[in-house]
Amino acid sequence: MSAATEEQVSYWELIRNGILKENTIFRLALSLCPAIAVTNNLKNGFFMGVAVVVVQVMVNLTISAMRNFIHPRIRLPIFMLVISGWVTIVNLVMDAAVPDVYKDVGLYIQLIVAFASILARAEMFASKNTVVPSVFDGIGMGTGFFIALMIISFFREVVGKGQVWGIPIIDAKPLLILILPAGGFFAVGILMAAFNWMYAKYFSSGGQSH
Amino acid sequence: MTTKDILKIVLNLVVIYLIGGAILSIVHAKTSPVRFHNNEAAEQKALKLLIPDADRIDKMGDWIIHDRQGKYWKAVKGDETIGYIILSYGKGYSSYIKTLIAVDMDFRVIKIEILSHKETPGLGDEILVPAWKDQFKGKEYDRIKLVKGDTKEYIQSITGVTISARAVTDDAVKKGVKFLIDTVKEGGAPHVSSH
Repeated sequence: MSAATEEQVSYWELIRNGILKENTIFRLALSLCPAIAVTNNLKNGFFMGVAVVVVQVMVNLTISAMRNFIHPRIRLPIFMLVISGWVTIVNLVMDAAVPDVYKDVGLYIQLIVAFASILARAEMFASKNTVVPSVFDGIGMGTGFFIALMIISFFREVVGKGQVWGIPIIDAKPLLILILPAGGFFAVGILMAAFNWMYAKYFSSGGQSH
Repeated sequence: MTTKDILKIVLNLVVIYLIGGAILSIVHAKTSPVRFHNNEAAEQKALKLLIPDADRIDKMGDWIIHDRQGKYWKAVKGDETIGYIILSYGKGYSSYIKTLIAVDMDFRVIKIEILSHKETPGLGDEILVPAWKDQFKGKEYDRIKLVKGDTKEYIQSITGVTISARAVTDDAVKKGVKFLIDTVKEGGAPHVSSH
């Protein structure tokens, strides 16, 4: 939105935008379904985040490269095709390359097709910009999503199960509910509030053109 | 919409489908042998782990449980059969839990292994904990039974994961062992059972 229409926007600013100002989960409140579904342990959150970064970057790259070729009337179906294509590729590659991990997160990888955030960046940014800024926007948005998933899944695994990456660190399950879907809402809500409080306090003043 | 628009839309879609289809089929072709090999290797490895003494594990046949295809094998050491392994499914909370069960010649459980499940993530995973699965060791058919509270004789349930634990115990393992007893104990010809 703001960054998307500016000509002279630095690549660093694009990445920073995705991580802080337009953080998919904490600021835009998009793609909350996966943010809750996959984040009950750090490992799932990590690999989901990696897959999302890859898909977001590749989708932005593909769509920005062929944006002048697409007829505006069918741009959304085509975005969906591109997204599902890349998700399928990531899915197949992960299944072959890291079968142990895929066993846990495979189900969620396929869900990336339905991520609002990916389609939103394709529509709002990649379809209006050239390849290089689109790639950086993809890196920024993907990384923002990745970091948010890591924070949420770390919080939920520690508080819910007393573990980090499957390794027990405290010999108790302080709040088992946090690893259940209902607890996901609590965790996301609490962390979203904390993120926005910190954002308002440290990042929002200065450094912005408007 | 002019004819030109329609043509462009058709062209858009055709080109994208062709390119996308080509890329996907290449990726699929490259990865599917790897995935097939991974699955095969994982299966043989899982079977070997169940009965490490066995020299080889030979497939004996297929059986059907919950409309799914199970398999069973015999573990052979030298010329002697030292045990059986059966692939079984248990109907859990949100999935069918794929389970391997190894039994000795007296049909006592040697070990079980959960191959895959889609139970509640994070919670249903408790059935994968070795301490829980180890309870099956040495249990004969009559003692494969899920109970709540402390037990040495039967299988102890897991708080909050009762449905998944019951699916493994009373469904997958119990029916699997029953099938093996019915099928291979009498030395009769293996047959496909629907139970």
